[in-house]
Amino acid sequence: MSKTKINRRNFLKVLGLGGAGAALAGCDMPSYVTLEEGEEKIYSYLAPEEYVIPGVGVWYASTCLQCPAACGTHGRVREGRVLKLEGNPNTAVNAGKLCQMGQAALQAHFNPDRITEPLINGQPASWDDALALINEKATKNVAWMTGAISGHQRVLLDAHLAATGKGRHYAVETINARAWTDAGKAVLSDAMPTLHLDKAEAVLSLGADMLGTWISPVTFMGQYGQFRAAPRGVLMAVEPAMSLTGANADQWVAAKPGTEAAVALGVGHLLMTKHGLSLNSMPNATSAFQSMTPARVQDIAGVSEAALNKIADTLASRKPSLVVANASHAAARVAMALNIMLGNVGKTLTPGASIVADPLAPIMGSTKDLAEFAQNADAGKIDAVFITGANPAFIAPQGLNMAAALKAVGFKVALATCHDETTKVCDVVLPLSSALEDWGTHVPAYGGKPGVVHLQQPLMEPLHAETRGLGDILLTLGKSAGVDGLEAFEDYYGYLRTAVSAMIGSEQEGDWQRVLQAGQFEAPAQDHAFSTGSDVALGFSENADAGLHLVTVARQGLYDGRHANSSWLQEAPDQITKAVWDSWAEMHPKTAADFGLKDGDYVSLTTQGGAITTRIFTYKGVHPKAVCVPMGRGHTDYGRWASNGVNPLTIVDAHLGDWQSSEVLATATPVKISAVGENRHLVRLMDTDQQHGRKLVATISAQQFGRTQGGA
Amino acid sequence: MSSLLGNIFKGWSDYSKGNEEGGHHNYEHMYAMVIDLDKCTGCNACSTACYAENNLATVGEEYFGARQAMHWMRIERYFDEPNLEKAGSEADADTQSHGASFLPMMCQHCNAAPCEPVCPVAATYHTPDGLNAQIYNRCIGSRYCANNCPFRVRYFNFYDHQETAWPAPMEQQLNPDISVRSKGVMEKCTFCIQRTRAASNTAKNEGRAIRDGEIQTACQQTCPTSAILFGDLLDETSAVHQAWKRHQVQLGRYTQNKENPELRGYRIFEELNVDTKVLYLERVREV
Amino acid sequence: MSDQKHLTQEQTKDIDENIAWASINADVLRSMENPRRGYWVAMAVSVCLFGIMIYAEVYQYMYGMGAALLNTSHMWDLYISTFVFWIGMSHSGTLLSAILHLVHADWRKPIYRFAEAMTTFSLMTAGIFPVIHLGRVWNFYWVMPYMTDRGLWPNFRSPLIWDAFAITAYLTSSVLFLYIGMIPDLAICRDNAKGWRKTLYSWLSLGWRGDDRQWRNFRFTYLMIACFLIPLAVSVHSIVSMDFAMSIMPGWHVTTFPPYFVAGALYSGCAAIITLFILLRYFFKFEHYMTFPILDKVCKLTFVIAMVWTYLNLVEFASVWYGHDIPSKEVLIAKATGPYSPFFWGMMTFGSVLPFSLLFKWVRRNMYVLFFASIFLNVGMWLERWMIVTPTLSLGYHPQAFNVMWPGWTEWAMVGGSFGWFGMLFLIFVKVFPCVSMYEVKEMVFHRKRTIYDDVDEMMTLHSGVPGPKAQTQNSGGA
Repeated sequence: MSKTKINRRNFLKVLGLGGAGAALAGCDMPSYVTLEEGEEKIYSYLAPEEYVIPGVGVWYASTCLQCPAACGTHGRVREGRVLKLEGNPNTAVNAGKLCQMGQAALQAHFNPDRITEPLINGQPASWDDALALINEKATKNVAWMTGAISGHQRVLLDAHLAATGKGRHYAVETINARAWTDAGKAVLSDAMPTLHLDKAEAVLSLGADMLGTWISPVTFMGQYGQFRAAPRGVLMAVEPAMSLTGANADQWVAAKPGTEAAVALGVGHLLMTKHGLSLNSMPNATSAFQSMTPARVQDIAGVSEAALNKIADTLASRKPSLVVANASHAAARVAMALNIMLGNVGKTLTPGASIVADPLAPIMGSTKDLAEFAQNADAGKIDAVFITGANPAFIAPQGLNMAAALKAVGFKVALATCHDETTKVCDVVLPLSSALEDWGTHVPAYGGKPGVVHLQQPLMEPLHAETRGLGDILLTLGKSAGVDGLEAFEDYYGYLRTAVSAMIGSEQEGDWQRVLQAGQFEAPAQDHAFSTGSDVALGFSENADAGLHLVTVARQGLYDGRHANSSWLQEAPDQITKAVWDSWAEMHPKTAADFGLKDGDYVSLTTQGGAITTRIFTYKGVHPKAVCVPMGRGHTDYGRWASNGVNPLTIVDAHLGDWQSSEVLATATPVKISAVGENRHLVRLMDTDQQHGRKLVATISAQQFGRTQGGA
Repeated sequence: MSSLLGNIFKGWSDYSKGNEEGGHHNYEHMYAMVIDLDKCTGCNACSTACYAENNLATVGEEYFGARQAMHWMRIERYFDEPNLEKAGSEADADTQSHGASFLPMMCQHCNAAPCEPVCPVAATYHTPDGLNAQIYNRCIGSRYCANNCPFRVRYFNFYDHQETAWPAPMEQQLNPDISVRSKGVMEKCTFCIQRTRAASNTAKNEGRAIRDGEIQTACQQTCPTSAILFGDLLDETSAVHQAWKRHQVQLGRYTQNKENPELRGYRIFEELNVDTKVLYLERVREV
Repeated sequence: MSDQKHLTQEQTKDIDENIAWASINADVLRSMENPRRGYWVAMAVSVCLFGIMIYAEVYQYMYGMGAALLNTSHMWDLYISTFVFWIGMSHSGTLLSAILHLVHADWRKPIYRFAEAMTTFSLMTAGIFPVIHLGRVWNFYWVMPYMTDRGLWPNFRSPLIWDAFAITAYLTSSVLFLYIGMIPDLAICRDNAKGWRKTLYSWLSLGWRGDDRQWRNFRFTYLMIACFLIPLAVSVHSIVSMDFAMSIMPGWHVTTFPPYFVAGALYSGCAAIITLFILLRYFFKFEHYMTFPILDKVCKLTFVIAMVWTYLNLVEFASVWYGHDIPSKEVLIAKATGPYSPFFWGMMTFGSVLPFSLLFKWVRRNMYVLFFASIFLNVGMWLERWMIVTPTLSLGYHPQAFNVMWPGWTEWAMVGGSFGWFGMLFLIFVKVFPCVSMYEVKEMVFHRKRTIYDDVDEMMTLHSGVPGPKAQTQNSGGA
């Protein structure tokens, strides 16, 4: 919070009036409250706002920033403290629901290990000193590294870059949908088509964890409920290790790491030869389908003919269907081709829409940017970098030499709420307000109404006096760098208010309050135009290596490691293994037996990029040629709760594949395992995976369901 | 004094009357749940929301490993499916071909709860809303109730976790509507009784009945697939009542008398005759 | 014991009927004086164990029940099993004093006093555990039915409340029984004591003069309390068994638990009597009173009860084995083959196989073997209680809760400490109160002198004048 305009009285004034409409229902209050401008009023805690009753919570709308999806939230505030987050029922992205990462945003805000004051070279300093140093050092060849970003923060960031030598903005996200969006752009001319899971009768996912971490999981989960209602849709998943989507699949197929594209091609082959479908508009795809026989698929991917036939039969007999993929660029392109061939385009796959105001549009992030940052930093092209919402020192594979790259950058500034591996190596660390203390606008990349902009507002006063919001810092930096038009604004709130008022076309207080209450507003949007299906090269290449491969996945919990400092999420059992607080390497029991290993044995996993040691967890949800170590743990410097586990991201092979097309999530790294001789019990929620004859989770067949639920 | 004795007699008469015909006479409400296991994705949002709402302490790896954790709502995951006919090739035996089975498990608020009669100090009892209530102030920690729970959904405060679970400023997040339990007391899912009470107070102040959907437990509210339904069985317009009716499951029975035995609704450990109030809808898989 | 062999050969009678009453007094009173070094060593060990228990309890009080390594599956462990063990041990005195009194088995007379003392102290030891196993120990008194300001009563449906009532009633009655039975002896002590003892015994003997009226009232009272105590004893352990039998847990919900527990209680009580018998006989040189024939009888009694216990055990196993309750069967199989199986088989060996050694006369005569045998019998019974509590909790209905747990140090400290506490109480008792009932031994000697068992008929004929079927010489020897 800046020091002058927004003091506590005004804060309460502003905050109070932003209370979501739901809080006023049943109170006979108008849906907005007007305040005359310029009048000073003293508000005592004993007599808070008229509609605030001590002991009864008031709900305010904001936006969740725990992952790039940017769901709308409602925060319950009592006596000036935010206590609970729920989904904003008005935002279409999540329709009132929130995932466990969103629930844990409270812990990110109240984290006891937050940075409370600016640091210069690790020593406490004042804001003035820090900003002065930044003005001195960050003047040219400046770069910004962020996570996914959108809205007015992006506008200010771009402006700052433009004013400091037109440097580059690296948007870094380990968990992204770049394979899919690149394929969408290439094949359909639409990077982010709208998917209608609820309308689909069958869904095939090739490594796209829709229910877990892909694009906007809460949106897809909302549609999933309808997908499963009568007539019940069938979900099929093809992946080397079980994700949350795979765990919910009717048919889960294990494929060798990196071979999902081959499986998709095999499906296409069967659709063409057995079910008589055709794809004349895409000859490249057609020939690729034709040459990928089921026998070849068995060879390449280890997927049986029977399983492949089942997938193809399902897709052919249930219409409309939907094929999604994130496993690799090739797999995503094949998926697009399959969608066209199956006639899903226009039914379950329709054109997306983007906000017309392009500067606000979301940048989703990739590890390609991370790699390019490392390259450019090494080459001396970056003199100063600002890092926020990203932890490159933690997520970068060793092959990228991120430590050296960061060292090569002369001046590094981190804007962070908590210390992490990256802030440790930065020259200046600026304490950031948490998401629950800050203002912002966010354009959700997927799932919202076209053109919707989500609003983020503080749900309580800043916990620590010296933290500042991202927007405020960007504003200050922009002013120092000479960006035009910023002088009029004392703080980001003022800037945002003006900007939003301009977008909604009204300066009325009442309209602003309505935006705050709704937590969103709609800006003009335009639909994307689909092409009929450009005949692109699929980029499929076989992986000849027949040995074990390491894959790393993200689970909806610790995500890419950013939530490892939340005790709730550390103690929330991993959805697939039910393990808590420590790392593990998932392996098929046959593979373990081949190596003479049993559950809990510690092994060293060695790749070209390095080695990590962790214990194995055996179950049948992994391909026998895959070893899966979920990412998220292995921090060395991330607060009191994050000091456990190992980080598989360090040993993922950064050189395999082409950084232009592949991503960490899609990378299958050859790995050698060797027993270390130790065995320790993995702490899990339950030590048994069987129901022991009790009727706990009873399962019926879909035919039975069809008979009783009135479905097909 | 007479009211003391009067209480004993009235309690006995309520108890004996309540045991007739399903045991829900003279109840004002009968809160129950329906959980659709086909919609549940096992994402665990409900469990974390419960931690946030009910001041649940995280206990850390060592105590979690010693099975001293406090997850009122837990998502269990099973890899076997004994009820489902396996139709597949031999290759299926080597792979988890139908995914995993997730089971959200929390206090079932049994109408004939085995935990209630055995508490020496009556710290757990059945409310007129049909909830199994736990009174932290009264609990002396004899733990008989936990032993008697077939679902093992009662959790004991084996330690004081205040300092480790909520180091400053995390204690500001604590929900003031619900106490923070110290060591020595038993706790468990309460069907978010604080929300129920708040809603019934509001309804009473406004002179009306509680509407279906007005009370949302934390788990139900956050469930992204809307797999959890919560409501009043005695309210015939409620979604929960209609779901129980649709699946032909009745309270007060230990085997159901369904006209259509293929209907998905079932209760866990129904044969123990504890009369649980959480109806689970069977998970479905295409074979 | 240089003349043990001599005594062994000589002791064919329950008691030597020629013992002078004065020497009975002298022997017993001597046992209460001048503790030797061994006594102080024993006392020191007991106090030490008890001290460890206090330390463990303070630690647990401060840090929480988690220190005992209890968890969501194993909410009860050694505290409850040791509690049941000590309640079981307490049936010894009741068996000997009350039941055998009613059937006129006068061979109980030299040994019932310390057995009753054992009862009382076992109950006092057992009573520690329901308190310390509570999570909020400081509120333990809420189980008492008293008028609270909120109109709250304890939950009378709970077996734990029944426990509280039953144990309190039993403890009160046992103390009363012990005390009242001691009054004539306390009078003897009073007449022979000096200093603080004299004051103590004067108060406690309530002015006993030993006249006819007092003796008649005394006999009647003693008989009444004995009659009252027997059903109480049976009910107490039945009620304690209902802590388990009233639960729905597989392995606990067993109808035979009340008689099974009572049988087990009598069993461990008898075994403890043998142990203390041997100790007291050795240390206080009570060879003339605690004779081999009496020990013989106690051993035979122990064997019989062991067989009853074994039978009830097998009944329980059979009903589970032939039943349809799958979780119960799983628990049974887990007991026999799972992680706790060494202790289960230990229990079966010590509880069902070892008592057969009591059939051999040389065992019944060999103090060393018998001492260790009786200890192991009790070890078996302790294991039995542990095997009732823990295997059920390690399984159960819900697989998520399957968990194997081993007791923590606080539990072992408390278990050991309870023996220390019992030891302390008993050691104090033997030095302050007569551990052999002087007046009853005098009665026994008197009756034996005047009664020759084999010639009961003849003697009765002699005294009554009615001709009897047998005719033998008058002094043909005793039983």
